[in-house]
Amino acid sequence: MPQKVAIESWDPEYGVPSSESPAEETDVEIDPDIEVPLAQWTPISSQGLESDAKLVFIDGVRRIDANAWLDDGVGPLRQGMFASFAAGAVEVGDRANLDHIEIRRGLFAPGSPEAFSTRAGTYRPFGVAGRGANELSAALQERLGALEIEVAGSVENQAQLIVVDGPLYRRQHLPRTIGYIKTHRVHYLSGDAEATVAALAPRERTPLFRFRTSWTRNSWYLRLPGPMAHAWSGIVRIEASADLDVEECVSLAELSCRTLPRFASAPHKDPRAPQNLYPIAGLERELRRRLGDPSYIERSLRAAAG
Amino acid sequence: MDETHLVGRVLGTDDATPLSFWVALGAQQYLQLDDVVALERPLPQGRQVRIYGLVTQVRARHEGARFDSDVFLIEDGILPAEVSQAAQVMATRFEPEIFVPPLPGQPVYKAVGTDRDMALFFDGMAKRLPAGLTRDDEPLYANLEFLDGTRGAHVNISGISGVATKTTYATFLLFSLFQSDVLGGEAINTKALIYNVKGEDLLFLDRTNAELTEEDRARYDRLGLTPGAFDSVEFWAPPRRDDPSATPDVATRQKGVTSYFWTLAEFCQERLLPFVFADAEDDRQQYTIVIHNVVDRLAREAQPLPDGGVAIDGQTITDFEALAQLIADRLQDDLTMPDWAGRAIGQGTVNAFVRRLFGAVRHLRHLIRGDVSNPERHRVQRQAQLTVVDIHNLNDRAKRFVVGVTLRRAFDEKERAGLQRPLLFVVLDELNKYAPREGSSPIKEILVDMSERGRSLGIILIGAQQTASEVERRIVSNSSLRIVGRLDAAEAGRDEYGFLPAVHRQRSTILKPGTMILSQPELPIPLVTQFPFPAWATRPSEASASTTSGKSDDPFKGLG
Repeated sequence: MPQKVAIESWDPEYGVPSSESPAEETDVEIDPDIEVPLAQWTPISSQGLESDAKLVFIDGVRRIDANAWLDDGVGPLRQGMFASFAAGAVEVGDRANLDHIEIRRGLFAPGSPEAFSTRAGTYRPFGVAGRGANELSAALQERLGALEIEVAGSVENQAQLIVVDGPLYRRQHLPRTIGYIKTHRVHYLSGDAEATVAALAPRERTPLFRFRTSWTRNSWYLRLPGPMAHAWSGIVRIEASADLDVEECVSLAELSCRTLPRFASAPHKDPRAPQNLYPIAGLERELRRRLGDPSYIERSLRAAAG
Repeated sequence: MDETHLVGRVLGTDDATPLSFWVALGAQQYLQLDDVVALERPLPQGRQVRIYGLVTQVRARHEGARFDSDVFLIEDGILPAEVSQAAQVMATRFEPEIFVPPLPGQPVYKAVGTDRDMALFFDGMAKRLPAGLTRDDEPLYANLEFLDGTRGAHVNISGISGVATKTTYATFLLFSLFQSDVLGGEAINTKALIYNVKGEDLLFLDRTNAELTEEDRARYDRLGLTPGAFDSVEFWAPPRRDDPSATPDVATRQKGVTSYFWTLAEFCQERLLPFVFADAEDDRQQYTIVIHNVVDRLAREAQPLPDGGVAIDGQTITDFEALAQLIADRLQDDLTMPDWAGRAIGQGTVNAFVRRLFGAVRHLRHLIRGDVSNPERHRVQRQAQLTVVDIHNLNDRAKRFVVGVTLRRAFDEKERAGLQRPLLFVVLDELNKYAPREGSSPIKEILVDMSERGRSLGIILIGAQQTASEVERRIVSNSSLRIVGRLDAAEAGRDEYGFLPAVHRQRSTILKPGTMILSQPELPIPLVTQFPFPAWATRPSEASASTTSGKSDDPFKGLG
């Protein structure tokens, strides 16, 4: 029997909760001494503020177009998820240019679903091992991550620094790449080290530290220019692969200090200012636009489901 | 419509309608205002509708920017954004006439060659009158059938004095009429009468323009015209005041100008007195009845004398002042008054007439006289193809008199001849002075008559004025070709310019000299046209020494 699809009547926003940052965990082990000993921790200001370094920012967006119920007439009813996701890059040199935008549409479902054609395009099937909504969402996140890596792979040669929005996650193998984390769910530092973060002036960073959970990263904090409402205003955390030696990491940290502050957004233009950098915000908007009009896509899904 | 002329695609973020739609332009493409475009829209059963249009607006914007200040971020290379360009097109033609909108995504082409002719209806114009050029020097045409009386007639030109180049454009139209072969064999007999109202600009129409450049010549070539001066022109100017020999009152040109005036005999016999009064036809004025009685009386009583004077009741009169005095005497004498003024006319009415009559004497004394020998030499003859009558030195009252009398004479002649062809073109600026919206006067009656019947009589009015809103509605509305030069912003908003779409109204306030907006009946959208620099001199400094225009001698010579 051919695959039957029923579209969930709930708005997908209410549907399957996602955890966009599966990468952050609390059970961490910190090594603050890799650049300077903890006792000497003090804010580090960059040498030369702006830089005309060629940067690439990479980001991805995902949207659940519809939740669905799949019935193959044999097994039980399965929950599936239609999702659109996209990843792209912005190259920043003299101008900020959008580059390498990739759009995908997928049907995520347990087992082996079939491709699903609509007026808005064909949803490629992605089989998921688990049966719950969380598994579907995680599968989508994994696909998005893979797409971002694909995009990054196509631009890596052109850039002195590749900035990935969010934790490095599985992208630590990309060269000259840093993860850019806007939110702080986990306090990695404490005591004097945390006080150093609070003492950062705009465009200053902390020394490097290394943390280990199920993975290992080198990381540092950086304060972006902007209004100082509280001690953590404008603080972002940046991480780099732990496979790099300390000098390479320091030079990435230096470069991040000299380049990123210039892209900090202003509060009246971005609700997540200054951490949500202009190029990433612009890229995100463009990616969301290219995902297509959600109501049109939902309509075409319903039409195709019959 | 081949791929090399592809400029963009119909966009879908704004409504596309059969009247107007937006075209997103390709990356390396541009369209400018007034460009002509074409596209093809498929219909079911394999039919195609060709849609033609004119670009009326072009816009460029950042896509991806949300705030005005984002432009700085974008230029600093911080925020990614794209520049998008789009052009608004107003449709001119559907072939076949199925009024469907173009569909978003359809390719749009710049129209060239036959497509352009189709878009602008030039293909259906059996007689195309070169009317100017586009900005990229493509010729624009007007349909002669809407000018020569076949389907319509008359031209009306509006625009601010000095900037709108109304008269120059009118002269260009005449040049084009005479020079292009659009009139065919008739061209040689077609005549024009033009009044010189400002400076002595039109007194050099027979001289080629020494400042004409090679580029200007090339533009004439594009229009199929040979640059040069007018071949056959006669110039008439009023006589100098208080000059018994009546030499023409012009400063910049000595030769080839003849002075004009009317003899007292003509004045009486041809009943020209009403033209002395601005409101002679106004029913609200009591004294107008006196005018008509006096006119009758003069026609009956005046005996012509050899040099244009008249004898009335044995009294010899050789100047206008004496005539006015005689009329006043007759009106104020209780014995003759009933005969001259009419019955039951009050003294107040008579006085009103006399007051006005004497008011005019000073301004008309040199134009109505009987003291020059061979006065027929000073009668505006219209032997040449183009007759220039200079009135710029005259007082308003005298201007009205001269224009009124010459127009009536031309009109009467045409009416008597009873033939529509050859055509007579009359160019008259400052229409608001001669045919104001309010009130009534003999000259206004003639102009209205001309605009209503001129089409069948073969007399075509090329009228101009600063503000169409101040001119008699019937004259403007009877004009098939409406042309607008630079307009005052307040004027551009008036109803009289309803034929201009909003964009064109806006543009009319920034038009440069030499650029006009031309509206003709067949085209739903007016064309913005530039006319080439005059090939004839428009001031003494431009006049080249000779009158060479590359053509043979005056074909009118010796026909007199």
